[in-house]
Amino acid sequence: MPSDRSDRVDGLLDGYLAGGAARRGYDEAFAADGSKRRIYRKIIDRFAELDTSEVERLEKLVADEFRRQGITFTVYSDDQGTERIWPMDLFPRLIAAAEWEHLARGLSQRVVALNCFLADLYSGEAQAVADGVLPRWVVLTSKGFERNAMGIAVPHGAHCNIAGIDVVRNAEGRFQVLEDNLRNPSGISYVIENRAAMAKACSWLFYDHPVAPTDNYGRMLRSTLDSMAPGGKDAPHVVVLTPGIYNSAYFEHAFLARAMGVELVEGRDLVVDGHTVYSRTIDGLVPVDVIYRRIDDGFLDPVAFRPDSTLGVPGLLGALRAGTVTVCNAIGNGVVDDKAVYPYVPELIRYYLGEAPIVDNVDTYMMWDPEQRSDALARLDQLVAKPAAESGGYGVLIGPHATEQELEQARAAIEADPRNWIVQELVQLSTLPSFAGESFEPRHLDLRPFVLTGERTEVFPGGLTRVAMREGSLIVNSSQGGGSKDTWVLSAAPEAPEGSEGSV
Amino acid sequence: MKLDIHYRMHFRYSDPVTEAQNEVRVRPRDDDCQRVVSYRLASQPAAAVLQAVDYWGTVVEHLGVRTPHTEMELRAEASVETSPRPAPDGDADRSAVREPSFRDAYFEMLAASPHVRWSEGDAVARKARAAVDGADTFAMMVAAVIEDVRATLRYEPGSTEIGVSLAEILEGRAGVCQDYAHLAIGMMRSIGIPARYVSGYLFAADETALPEEAASPDDAPEAVSVQTHAWLEAAVPGWGWWALDPTNGGTVGERHVVIGCGRDYGDVPPVRGAFMGSGTADVDAEVVIGKRRSRDAFVYAPRRPADPAAGVVPQDAFWGQQQQQQQ
Repeated sequence: MPSDRSDRVDGLLDGYLAGGAARRGYDEAFAADGSKRRIYRKIIDRFAELDTSEVERLEKLVADEFRRQGITFTVYSDDQGTERIWPMDLFPRLIAAAEWEHLARGLSQRVVALNCFLADLYSGEAQAVADGVLPRWVVLTSKGFERNAMGIAVPHGAHCNIAGIDVVRNAEGRFQVLEDNLRNPSGISYVIENRAAMAKACSWLFYDHPVAPTDNYGRMLRSTLDSMAPGGKDAPHVVVLTPGIYNSAYFEHAFLARAMGVELVEGRDLVVDGHTVYSRTIDGLVPVDVIYRRIDDGFLDPVAFRPDSTLGVPGLLGALRAGTVTVCNAIGNGVVDDKAVYPYVPELIRYYLGEAPIVDNVDTYMMWDPEQRSDALARLDQLVAKPAAESGGYGVLIGPHATEQELEQARAAIEADPRNWIVQELVQLSTLPSFAGESFEPRHLDLRPFVLTGERTEVFPGGLTRVAMREGSLIVNSSQGGGSKDTWVLSAAPEAPEGSEGSV
Repeated sequence: MKLDIHYRMHFRYSDPVTEAQNEVRVRPRDDDCQRVVSYRLASQPAAAVLQAVDYWGTVVEHLGVRTPHTEMELRAEASVETSPRPAPDGDADRSAVREPSFRDAYFEMLAASPHVRWSEGDAVARKARAAVDGADTFAMMVAAVIEDVRATLRYEPGSTEIGVSLAEILEGRAGVCQDYAHLAIGMMRSIGIPARYVSGYLFAADETALPEEAASPDDAPEAVSVQTHAWLEAAVPGWGWWALDPTNGGTVGERHVVIGCGRDYGDVPPVRGAFMGSGTADVDAEVVIGKRRSRDAFVYAPRRPADPAAGVVPQDAFWGQQQQQQQ
């Protein structure tokens, strides 16, 4: 990436490069030699002009804005059980047009292949399994493999309509996929709210940058969901099904319903009669065509799934089997989120699409394989161990940051249940400046772009950039106390005329 | 053999129920040895029935009643023609259980399942090892397990409930058909024999005593009231599924009518449902099965089921957590 040696770094960014400890990875704003990367030049210069009190003022402006609008999230593991104001760092994350285009193609390719896999699996054919692309027993022992999904018709074969694919930049600055989320990925509402808050607090930052807008997600999601109506029905009745106000993503459920102009419902607002789902409204029962559900498979219908579910709609599976309603995302996508299936995704891409994967996986070791297991456990202090069925960063062990006791416990847990663990090479996540009270310091980050699939697959520009709050920490999940940044995908604007303020 | 089956399930609620949703698996399947001539499921109060085929290939019927009621009746009527199920004419050396491709092909029927849990070296696994000591071939191992289960358990209606563990069955040394089947399945799986649970009907006055074949159709009992029955199938390498009934005699013949199969009872329960209301439910199920003569020959006599066949989720203010009977 071109860099600019001529510019100096001042002010709150003055000591940024000196903070060596956290600078082991790839910094997205500064090259290794300390020069500014070209796309960040103007951003760095603007931030260098600010003093502490000005940054604090802007941060307060953003926090007040979030507080006023009730933009919050909940940390379940927090003893306080508190809802917190969404944390956003002011220094934006930029992605150049060409780089985004490459990443988006890779993510689109990945989701297309995963949809092929889910359609193959739940049609009962399971051709990929028959052809030995991945072992049958891995699928059959996956907690996310849902036998009740077998044979349910899914329009366009689009089992995953909304995917959130977590990517990271490795030490060379190259994007890699860390994790697939094809069940109920959350975070898109924060992407949109981050942009709105940035535009209010720091409008002056946008002037020189052609940033792809984020305000059309509601329309995009709505048209994706509309296309999923059974029988290709026009103007279908779409609802958002939430577990309720105690869910950590309730804010997002309400946000998306509003952004799409559809009802937000709970299970008890829906009823099944004659294998059709109806919404209870003041005008009586109104048939529902598409349910964007944000509750887990196991809670969808107490008749067929967990009998103790109070969140679902009794008889919903019967309606699905009757083909009168579509549930988005489809049932059973958890088999792909299973981290024991993740290592096979590159092969699935080759198998279904006959193409090489555009974006790579992180090197991953399958713990059920005795050889890989003994190698990985011997150097677990340099690796990352993850429970296969968890998400949101729960249960993740980062070898270099773990105590000897934690490593021993992880080794024992893996030996006891190797099917349900994977171990990965540690990716030294890339960094960007984040304001840490007195100055900007490097903080690690990842990115969760969102991929929508109805009749076709589209990648929403940008995504949620999550930031580790503590120096050196690699845990960015908001459920683990991480923060966020506004993510700017720069459009490929024509080169600015010589001598004028360039756009990129 | 031509058989008519009348299956009836009756729900009585202590307080009116405003909604009941059910998933029903009582339709006999069509296969090489049985043909369904006619079949019909109806409910009172009346409800539309949706038929689908589940993951295991069993016909599942969905029906929901949304008018307030204090009683509900499900009635299935089937006419089936059965022919004898062949015993395997192939066999394999007992080492076949270790063949990786065989183990992979039958993976689901070799793994523990919710009602069939055992672990390496526990009482179930040890019992299985001891039972097949000296059995040289695959078929001999299967037969040895069936014999051992029959020698171990005493048939005792109402002695157990669905949800009992294999360890508890072994401890009590008594049970009903599900328990016989679950224990035999667990023992087989623990020594590498794929085994699956079969839900169906048995034409017999008592499920432990298969009646002698009648001399002519006219001599056959007109109708006997029985429960849904359970037995199992074991996979024989190079041959296929071998049906066995550990509760009676061991063999499966023309008098057995298959509904479907799965890993255990939980995959093929006759009825699973949820209702909305504040009361409790009483469930009665009965099956009347007989050689076909005329429909008038059958009478319904309510009888307490040995296998409580319905899962019910009653409600308090909202969809409740309380669960009666199975699962």
